[in-house]
Amino acid sequence: MADVRPDSPPQPPVRPDWWSKSLAGVLLGFTLAIALSGLITWLGPGGPAAINKYQFTMWIVAPIWLGVVSFCFLFRSGLRAWLWLGGANLIAFAALLASRGRLPH
Amino acid sequence: MAIRTDVVRLYRQVHTWTGILTGLILFVCFYAGALTMFKEPLERWITPSAEVAPVAFERAGELIATTRALRPKVRDFTLAMEPVLTGAAPLRLTWTEGRFDPAPWSATLEPDGSVAVKKLDPSGIGLLVDFLHRTAGIPGDLDIGTLVTGVASALYLVALVSGVIILLPSLVRDFLALRVTANLKRLWLDAHNILGLVSLPFHIVIALSAVVFGLHDQIYDTLNQVVYKGQMRTAIAASSPFRAAAKDMRPAAMLPPPDLLKRTRDLSPGFHPVGLEYHDAGTRAATVRVWGHDPRYLVRREGFVLMGAVDGRIISTEYMPGHQGVWSAVVSSFFALHFGSFGGSIVRWSYFGLGLAGALLFYSGNLLWIESRRRTERRAGGPVAQSRSTSLLAAATVGVCLGCVGGLSLTIAAGKWLNGVVSDLHAWHWGIYYATFLGACAWAFRRGAARAGVELLWASAAATAAIPATSLLSWLAPGPVPWVPGRLAGVDLVALAGALALAGMARLAERRARTGPRDSVWSVQEGGMESHPAANAAD
Repeated sequence: MADVRPDSPPQPPVRPDWWSKSLAGVLLGFTLAIALSGLITWLGPGGPAAINKYQFTMWIVAPIWLGVVSFCFLFRSGLRAWLWLGGANLIAFAALLASRGRLPH
Repeated sequence: MAIRTDVVRLYRQVHTWTGILTGLILFVCFYAGALTMFKEPLERWITPSAEVAPVAFERAGELIATTRALRPKVRDFTLAMEPVLTGAAPLRLTWTEGRFDPAPWSATLEPDGSVAVKKLDPSGIGLLVDFLHRTAGIPGDLDIGTLVTGVASALYLVALVSGVIILLPSLVRDFLALRVTANLKRLWLDAHNILGLVSLPFHIVIALSAVVFGLHDQIYDTLNQVVYKGQMRTAIAASSPFRAAAKDMRPAAMLPPPDLLKRTRDLSPGFHPVGLEYHDAGTRAATVRVWGHDPRYLVRREGFVLMGAVDGRIISTEYMPGHQGVWSAVVSSFFALHFGSFGGSIVRWSYFGLGLAGALLFYSGNLLWIESRRRTERRAGGPVAQSRSTSLLAAATVGVCLGCVGGLSLTIAAGKWLNGVVSDLHAWHWGIYYATFLGACAWAFRRGAARAGVELLWASAAATAAIPATSLLSWLAPGPVPWVPGRLAGVDLVALAGALALAGMARLAERRARTGPRDSVWSVQEGGMESHPAANAAD
């Protein structure tokens, strides 16, 4: 969302890439939201067994997921959307796998 | 704020698609949702309570003991307090046989001290309004309907964000500008933008929470597999307020209700109890949830404290306003923000208004879609026929929206006439609504949007006016309809205002159809598409 100033070099227009971007936003946005919610579950205050925290971490999926869907059309192309969101997913899931432990009984 | 024009163009398309896919579903959800704010007054308007022989609340313990002796298998029941204390309902226990049982059982004390058990027959208007709000009226299983509205709400959030993005460049210049000029499209666009921007926080809250209500099963299943390695039930069990309740099912005597209420008052003096919900009553495992409000906190519809019904010990305050853990309190506030169950009647009325404004937002969105695809005579240089897609969407918009408005008004008004005449008022409510709704849709497609719009607006105005007319008639000529004087003028006044508004819209639509520009789906004039069915078919 950069200002177009007279002195800045002209940027190539944003490609629509409807299908590619929408799919990236809906699928990778959802998996990213799940991974981030999982990180809050395991690393956030109280750990995974804090009372009713599982409800909060379920709620938080919706804004993250739909935030990604809403803004994924800002990527300059569908390919970039897949690469950036895929990369973010890789990092988030690596962190989640590393932080998942045993649930206390 | 400067945003690149190619980005704005892109988001205009996102807004168009998400809006057009969800507009009609959301209209029904919002209109019915606005009515859910007042479903109890609606229920009372239809079935005014008969004269109640007052029974002191102190006799609740006696009622429970006698009912338990009469129906030993009934261990889970509710004792409502508020209607008893205000004299609106007798002292009674109620229980249901399923989650959405329209006719709960009731047990009341007779003057001779015995207990009378009978099936209650509430009008069911509250259940219908609630169902329409959750499912947009998609028939069949509740789960399917809520899944559809959940997905629609997800698209609706994207529509909100994209709508704001395309508005940002002109926000400073055009904000709150309502240009009442000959350019009707400009006026509708301004109205759409004002409605959307002013109520944006409300819409974001409603959209996100509705996504959760619609899709929580799917999200929980995914989280269980990915985050909890299939062990989420341990986290759920550890959070259950019942985890510390006894499991001993041997019989035991329970404390009388006034005693339980005193303990609740000691715990939280600002808490206003409205009912006691018993579980495993008459055993050592017996628990009671004391439900109630506390206007100082954001809670789900109501909060509760869980107590042992035998010893009166406090088992859990996890859902008690002001006594919740931080996670529970945050989640409760999400619920409260969707339900408008905070801040008393001001918030209730605001949510009612915001719900109706939301319905208008989606209606105007569809109008703008049609208007921006209009074929004009000026450009074509002669009479034009509008495209098939705009004609169809115009008819669908008129049929669905006015079918919903008219259907709900008619089923409410009819409820008062049928109450006591038919045995299953609940089924009649649904039948009348769906018949009116489907009839309006069929009428709109058959007659075309321009004619049907005017006719259905008049019909909706008449159906809505039937609500205060019914009250007036029953007041002037008491007979078939029981009238409770002075009690429920609110429902009548709101319906009267609604009827007048609908009649006003009908007059405007009529004028538009007769004398407005004829190159439009809303015109019935010669040369307009309505008089050229052949041209329409050739499209």
